[in-house]
Amino acid sequence: MARKTLTVGWLYPDLMNIYGDRGNILTLLKRAEWRDFDARLIELGRGTTEGIDDVDVFFFGGGQDREQALVYEDLLETKQTALERAVASGASVLAVCGGYQLLGQYYQTGEGERFPGIGLIDVRTEAGKQRFIGDVVVDTDLPDIQPQTLVGFENHSGRTYLGPKAKPLGRVRMGFGNNGEDHTEGCIQGGILGTYLHGSLLPKNPHLADHLVTSALARRGITELAPLDDAAEIAAHEKILARAQRR
Amino acid sequence: MRRTAAVWAGKATGALARISRLGGGTTLPGDVARAIDPDVLRKMSRDLKHGAIVITGTNGKTTTARLISWLLEGAGHSVVSNRAGANLIFGATAAALEKAGANGKLKVDWGVFEIDEASLERAVDEIQPRAAIVLNLFRDQLDRYGELETIAKRIEAALKRLPADSRAVLNADDPRVAEIGLNLDRPPLWFGLDDTSVATRELPHAADARTCPRCGASLVFDAVYVGHDGVYRCPNGDFARPVPDLAATHIDLNGFESLAMGVSGVRIELPLGGLYNCYNALAAFAAGDALGLDPAFIAERLRTFRAAFGRQERLEAQGRRLNLVLSKNPAGFNETLRTAVDLAGGRNFLIGLNDRRADGTDVSWIWDVDFERLRGRAQVVVPAGNRADDLAVRLKYAGLTAPIATPPEPDPALALDALIRATPEGETAHVLCTYTAMLDLRAELVRRGWAKPYWET
Ligand SMILES: [Zn+2]
Repeated sequence: MARKTLTVGWLYPDLMNIYGDRGNILTLLKRAEWRDFDARLIELGRGTTEGIDDVDVFFFGGGQDREQALVYEDLLETKQTALERAVASGASVLAVCGGYQLLGQYYQTGEGERFPGIGLIDVRTEAGKQRFIGDVVVDTDLPDIQPQTLVGFENHSGRTYLGPKAKPLGRVRMGFGNNGEDHTEGCIQGGILGTYLHGSLLPKNPHLADHLVTSALARRGITELAPLDDAAEIAAHEKILARAQRR
Repeated sequence: MRRTAAVWAGKATGALARISRLGGGTTLPGDVARAIDPDVLRKMSRDLKHGAIVITGTNGKTTTARLISWLLEGAGHSVVSNRAGANLIFGATAAALEKAGANGKLKVDWGVFEIDEASLERAVDEIQPRAAIVLNLFRDQLDRYGELETIAKRIEAALKRLPADSRAVLNADDPRVAEIGLNLDRPPLWFGLDDTSVATRELPHAADARTCPRCGASLVFDAVYVGHDGVYRCPNGDFARPVPDLAATHIDLNGFESLAMGVSGVRIELPLGGLYNCYNALAAFAAGDALGLDPAFIAERLRTFRAAFGRQERLEAQGRRLNLVLSKNPAGFNETLRTAVDLAGGRNFLIGLNDRRADGTDVSWIWDVDFERLRGRAQVVVPAGNRADDLAVRLKYAGLTAPIATPPEPDPALALDALIRATPEGETAHVLCTYTAMLDLRAELVRRGWAKPYWET
């Protein structure tokens, strides 16, 4: 019998990697290897879509302003159609920070100028004056994941608001989340999960990593993953949970 | 009168801080004096007989400042310098205060100040330095300093305000620093490395400054020295590494023990290890050169240099040698690991990660450090600091399983015990820590009598 495979696609690994995003990639790959999957990474830099149709889980991280502008052009020119196709066929996407914003409807600057995103998720972002920085604890709305919390670190000045098609990833117990007003954090829309949490996100939230993988592999009939020893990951998760309790 | 009051208030606070052993960033006296007279540093800087030098950049400020002070003192000058890693502008004020006389006057030849990237503008305005050195720009403490681009723009604005007779001394090998230099009206003094035998061809993970500032194309690197510092060019030909005025050639690296290199026809040797210290020594050489010191004298003086607190300090601990290296961001950490594993054959490690304000409250950067390098080489790695749990996860995903990585140990005393237990007698253990994790660990070393308090070193 052929080994099970998992293909991870990293969008713009050289430009969108500011907040230790490699941790999310390593977590997806290592956990697949530990479960005896054949795990493969496809790097989707500027100008290429090679292998994009094989991808099960996409990762799209945060970048600096200068890099984000370069990525935006390439996204429209070479990636948008292929990404839409992949998502329609059941691939899952984790988009963090800048990646989250770029997949939305638009980003509006402080001067009111609007830059359209690629509109894969029904969210819009406006520039804010104060930066939201610090630890975050989220009570997640995702069904069937244990524990029901997500932890991470946020550092963003954008305020993101969800439209009717996007559901929040959860509610903040500690931290600011999407916009600091409605207590929501992140979004879920079909197979796409957007969030401001880094830190890195997946190493401290292994249950979320597994959720992304199972939701992509469902199309190949895999709905459950072999359990792993997550004691170290959960210990780090609980350290941040404890900070929320101390307040 | 106001100035004298400010100086005295600051001095009293300084004495107090030392007596009560509030270790670490010694800026409190500066805070007090500046509250009484905000112009105190400006006034004292004017007293400096020959002037001042400011040093900024993500990594290497402290070592470079100490090297320059060492050179100037060797040439018979008196120097005021903010030494204990207190590199905010308040730290510079505090340092100047310590040397001020009872009348508030500073009777010193030179000021050598390390200034954090975000404070350079204010420092240039107040200090009016004779030379400003920019070492490098790497991602560091994104929670506090913001992104690289913002910092780079502020440094550029600061350098544009340098006095007319002042010189900018810049690292040509850093693409973002080079971009700053090319935007200045007066040409800077460029320094860089020219020895491909110590270079790699591959950029590390998460290198910053990898696109052309003119056309956005990905830069081509013909050599990579440290982080994204190397020999680079735009494939479209509109941006390239400036030709260094002072280049280091024929580099020899001897673990953490020493390095040697040729600059301007003289051979420099100094008891500091690691390729990153070639940059620091070269920057110090460039500063000495810009201030008119004789190259042969510089070479002679550097031979007897001693490192600053926690930056390559060597200690004895129950028959083991401890090598303490401050490591606070991916670029610095990767170089320290490379030196420890590849050049020094290191096998025993304690890695300390804190997330206090001075360390940066965001620890995501540990995922950009190549801890994979330790796999199959290390025999013990102790994750320590108040974020030891995060480190343990990072090490797990780097493929370092037990018994290589011991359980996370946030208590510095217990972490030290675990390290000593696992390190065979006669071997060296490398202690790599973020700023306050190093302070915590060093305090424990002092308690055990294995290290001196930092202000005596
Ligand atoms: Zn170009």
